[in-house]
Amino acid sequence: MKTSIGLNNILQFILFVALQIMLMDNLVLYGTGFCYIYVAFLLFLPININRLLLLFLGFLVGFTVDIFYDTMGIHAAASVLLAFLRPLLLNLLTPRDGYDISDSVNIHVMGKGWFLTYTFTLLLIHHAAVFFLERISFDDFLQTLLKIVLSVVFTGIVMIILQLLFFSPKRTSRV
Amino acid sequence: MRNLFAFIYRFRAFLVFVLLEVLCVFMIVHYNTYQGAAFFNSANKYIGEVLEFQSGITDYFRLTNVNSTLARENAVLRQELLQYRKAALIDSASTLDTTFFANTDTLKQRPFILHAGRVINNSVRRTNNTLTLAIGTEDGVEPGMGVIASNGVVGRIKTVSKNYSTATSLLHSQMLISAKIKKNNTFGTIKWTGGDYRTALLDYVPLHIEPAKGDTIVTSGYNTVFPEGIMVGTISSIAKEPDRSFYTIRVKLAVDFAQLSYVYVVENTQKEEREELEQNAGILPDED
Repeated sequence: MKTSIGLNNILQFILFVALQIMLMDNLVLYGTGFCYIYVAFLLFLPININRLLLLFLGFLVGFTVDIFYDTMGIHAAASVLLAFLRPLLLNLLTPRDGYDISDSVNIHVMGKGWFLTYTFTLLLIHHAAVFFLERISFDDFLQTLLKIVLSVVFTGIVMIILQLLFFSPKRTSRV
Repeated sequence: MRNLFAFIYRFRAFLVFVLLEVLCVFMIVHYNTYQGAAFFNSANKYIGEVLEFQSGITDYFRLTNVNSTLARENAVLRQELLQYRKAALIDSASTLDTTFFANTDTLKQRPFILHAGRVINNSVRRTNNTLTLAIGTEDGVEPGMGVIASNGVVGRIKTVSKNYSTATSLLHSQMLISAKIKKNNTFGTIKWTGGDYRTALLDYVPLHIEPAKGDTIVTSGYNTVFPEGIMVGTISSIAKEPDRSFYTIRVKLAVDFAQLSYVYVVENTQKEEREELEQNAGILPDED
């Protein structure tokens, strides 16, 4: 099982961050639905990746987005939280006979149920962290809640589309 | 000692996690309370270049809009100029003997200097919106200066680098602007409560005043950020709530933030003197 990151992941980093800054920044549904697609980079990393490396990558990607968004620290904090919880959730979601060598975060390989639970749980945590840190207080709680739910659905759907379009159903070909 | 190291090694992931989160929280707090030189934000040289490249492309699609805004502004300025010329023709004060010439206090007013800047990054849909401008310290921009567009108030400079600067937009959850109702000089505070980027809230207008729908709201000039009388917007709805001693007034903003292309950074030449005086007198600035 691969535990380090490859060229593929570096490309994904650049691609997802560019997509976030250039396109998704302008794509907001009804002023409440945001798409933080850069999270896909963290979610699509190899399953057995080193936990420390994952934490630093989380910080790196969040910090990069923060620089462009002028939201110093908010996305970094949320991404580090996601990176910390990811291995714990993966443990909880372990299939009956453990993860295979060829397993990766792929909707075809791991099945729809597994992928949707994994994606939406982590997205919910990440988005909740982002929107509450942005407000700093708990006033307008309902408005923030609506934002979180709509944004999770939005980002989740975009992520599923990306999976169906670009990730091959073959078990061995992916990193 | 060895046990300690073993402990640290065992919980290394958790410790690194806590460390990184503390760093993030420190950055959030630090950035929220701080104005000054820019390093890790969109006023950074390289980040600014990326954003400028991006806006270089998207700007082409807004050229018609930019042109008509500039043309309209030109028309207004020309009209104002004509009025002065007409007044100068009628006015005979300049031909009077200087001994009888009354020195009005407006003559002592030192001017505000405007620095024009291009908006290269802008957002209207977040909770805390910011702008990035393609002018910086080289053009005389400093943190804390006001930002206005041709039709109204935009925001306030937060950080600057050599060639770029970031500004807190009026559409920011922590931005307050001291404003007044033009017709009776009642002052209140403009703040944006999120949601629609065309409306803001005018708070602290006491109940004995009678504001009307359509009244003009302008800046108060009670602080050094904005000159007096810069347009903010017009009143779109007024509500009295039973549990508050102030009106809840919604203001339709004069500036369409989604269409911003060029803005002016306002330099107040008397800022230092006034702030020093007010500080020495123990008066806290009206807003920050």
